[in-house]
Amino acid sequence: MTWADLQLAAANAVLFLAFGCFLVVAARNGISLLQLIVAGWVFATRTKPGRNAVELWNRYGDLAFPVSVIAPAFNEELSIVDSVKALLALEYPHHEVIVVNDGSKDDTLGALIRGFEMEPYEREQIAELQTTKILGTYRSRRFPNLFVVDKENGRKADAANAGIGFARTPLVCVIDADSIIERDGLLRAAEPFMHDDGRLIAVGGTIRIANGCEIEGGALRKIGVDKKLVPRFQVVEYLRAFLSSRVANAHTDTLLLISGAFGMFRRDVLIEIGGYRHDTVGEDLELVVRMHRYMLEQKRDYAIKFVPDIVCWTEAPVNLAGIKGQRSRWQQGALETLQRHRRMIFNPRYGRIGMIGMPQLILEDIIGPPAEVIGYLVVPAAVLLGILDPMMALAFLGVTVLFGTGLSFGSLVLEEIQLRRLQSARDLYRIGEAALLENFGFRQMNLIYRLRGIRSFWRNDTKWEAVPRIGFDQAS
Amino acid sequence: MGAQFVFFVSAMVALAMLVAFAILLLRRWYQERRKRAEKDNLTAITRSYMRRVSGQADNEASAKWSDELKLEAVSHIHLLLRGGERQRLMQMAELDGLLRATLRKSESWRSARRIDAIRLLQQFGSEACIARLREIFARDRNKAVRLEAAFALAAVHALPPPRETIRILGMFERKINRLDKALFRASAPHYSEELALLLEDDISHDHRALIIDALGWSEDPDVLPLLRKASRMNHAELRSAALRAAGQLGVPTVEPWVLERLRDPVEFVRIQAVNCCAALGLHGAIPHLRLLLEDEAFWVRLRAEHALEVLEEQWPDHEQPRLRA
Repeated sequence: MTWADLQLAAANAVLFLAFGCFLVVAARNGISLLQLIVAGWVFATRTKPGRNAVELWNRYGDLAFPVSVIAPAFNEELSIVDSVKALLALEYPHHEVIVVNDGSKDDTLGALIRGFEMEPYEREQIAELQTTKILGTYRSRRFPNLFVVDKENGRKADAANAGIGFARTPLVCVIDADSIIERDGLLRAAEPFMHDDGRLIAVGGTIRIANGCEIEGGALRKIGVDKKLVPRFQVVEYLRAFLSSRVANAHTDTLLLISGAFGMFRRDVLIEIGGYRHDTVGEDLELVVRMHRYMLEQKRDYAIKFVPDIVCWTEAPVNLAGIKGQRSRWQQGALETLQRHRRMIFNPRYGRIGMIGMPQLILEDIIGPPAEVIGYLVVPAAVLLGILDPMMALAFLGVTVLFGTGLSFGSLVLEEIQLRRLQSARDLYRIGEAALLENFGFRQMNLIYRLRGIRSFWRNDTKWEAVPRIGFDQAS
Repeated sequence: MGAQFVFFVSAMVALAMLVAFAILLLRRWYQERRKRAEKDNLTAITRSYMRRVSGQADNEASAKWSDELKLEAVSHIHLLLRGGERQRLMQMAELDGLLRATLRKSESWRSARRIDAIRLLQQFGSEACIARLREIFARDRNKAVRLEAAFALAAVHALPPPRETIRILGMFERKINRLDKALFRASAPHYSEELALLLEDDISHDHRALIIDALGWSEDPDVLPLLRKASRMNHAELRSAALRAAGQLGVPTVEPWVLERLRDPVEFVRIQAVNCCAALGLHGAIPHLRLLLEDEAFWVRLRAEHALEVLEEQWPDHEQPRLRA
């Protein structure tokens, strides 16, 4: 082989890579645009929820399924009493709060005992789904619907499983202990179960970033927008994910993820499938994929739905260091789920999940991030080497930065027309500003973090990186 | 050419979204600027209606007030008023022509808008509104809209007889959900005889159970013989519905046949019987419930423990140590 042949082969390889990356990025964006259009249609044709929970309460009060809210808590000594008070105050006809102290190193349990006059109480566990030891169970003298489980540390999945095992209600709502649930969030999430004829097994809802909001006593007082850019970028990301992607996926019966911060499930189905898995860092995604797989393999008629209304607020990492760990973990979790359920991919036996949902996950989480990163490097290099039309570089810029910006603004348009939860034009402007700026640096950093997640997956890294958060008191 | 096209499409998508966003941002900004004036107007309209409702002279009314703003004020005030005052307010709103826009909205081609209109019509609750709600309930092409109209009619105590409701909503041609249950329960106080007649039809056990359950909400003790009969039927769902209904009716004379069901072979019937004992405060059930603390089924033991807690609080002389479920 001559030097010229080598040069030609290298040029062809670079061209092939450049076009490949371009096609992958274009496909991702094409899907996102489709999702935005579907979500727009869903929002335009949906029945807007009533003005307040009173309507829902009046209608469904005596028909609402009892719900157990399961809140795994780890080292939450400072905030747990406020959080639990807010959970007890949720507007719902019959709900029980099960707090699972997951081997906290601080005095979380003591705070609960003092705050709610807890006393030891023996209660039979219906299903033992956890792998660690239960150290004690407590009930409150003041609040008959509060129950606390104290157990050895075993991470969130294990703690949630312990709580599910103690739940006695037909529905369970698994949340993060620091999630701030909307006062009528449980009612909203339980509403699809009222219309259901027995098929519905799980419901997810929209989650929003609480950074910048006024939080008092574990409850949301005033919606606001953080002054820092990193939380604002995440507001845009959440809007895109929840208002566009998940609404569209739920509409097409391909919803694969119900966020760990808030998810409502039928208890019997959770127990049948053994609860959350302990050996993955993406237990929320894995759970929903496994639910699909289980129901489809059992040939049972089922549905998983999503309510576009905001049901929960969560604190986002305030800096890039926090995002790095979170995004790596999400990426690793997605890859672990895909590996574990790989036989579902392009398998017609699994219907839309196998033919649409899983391939979409591959495009999003396996091929997409590296393709875009490689594209950023290869496309300009190819142009500089003179083997690629400069117009092609512009087109790549178009499908990444311009198209991405368009999609972000599209989600903001949906928020403003349909939900309108941002309090002022100023807040709306600040989120718009973030939607524009996130494409210049933040988006690319995110891709790097995701590549880090891919590396952790290959290394079979089981280390759990806690996401540093500063707490609502400091944030607000 | 292809690359140019891709760039052009991307730019157009971004531009279109940006323009849409900019328009919405400007609209929000404009609304915020007008907010103060609108708030003042809303206060003035509220004051004006309150005066008129209480029969006082109203010199403040302005022709500049929009129907939309008036409707907002009325929607707010009507939650604060009761009885005759609320009726007068609704009459005035109708006389002011506020209903016209809502009636127009109820004919929109978009079902979501028709549902919005139904909610407003329910709020007004006048005869004209009820007539329109009935029309929507009977003729709307969309099932969800008809269902919403049914709930609105139930809220204003104007739901048609059960047979009509069943026919229009096609209730017996599909699986039952909890909303069907809610509608039947809502119609029970007005149509307990019709519901009882329905039981004579050739219908499935599930539908029969739905009707028996609703009879519990009839507030009519005459249905008790029907419930007793249902509690001895072969189908467990019917026995369970009869117990639910008995618990809701709150007449303690059902004690003998409710206690009988504590020994039912089917677990969920025993659970309903236990719940019924607790709901009715049946003193005589305490010894039977203590036996159920050792029932083979976990959920029966659990409910029995709970029922005992309730009953022993009502009848403290029966307090004795007991097993945990």
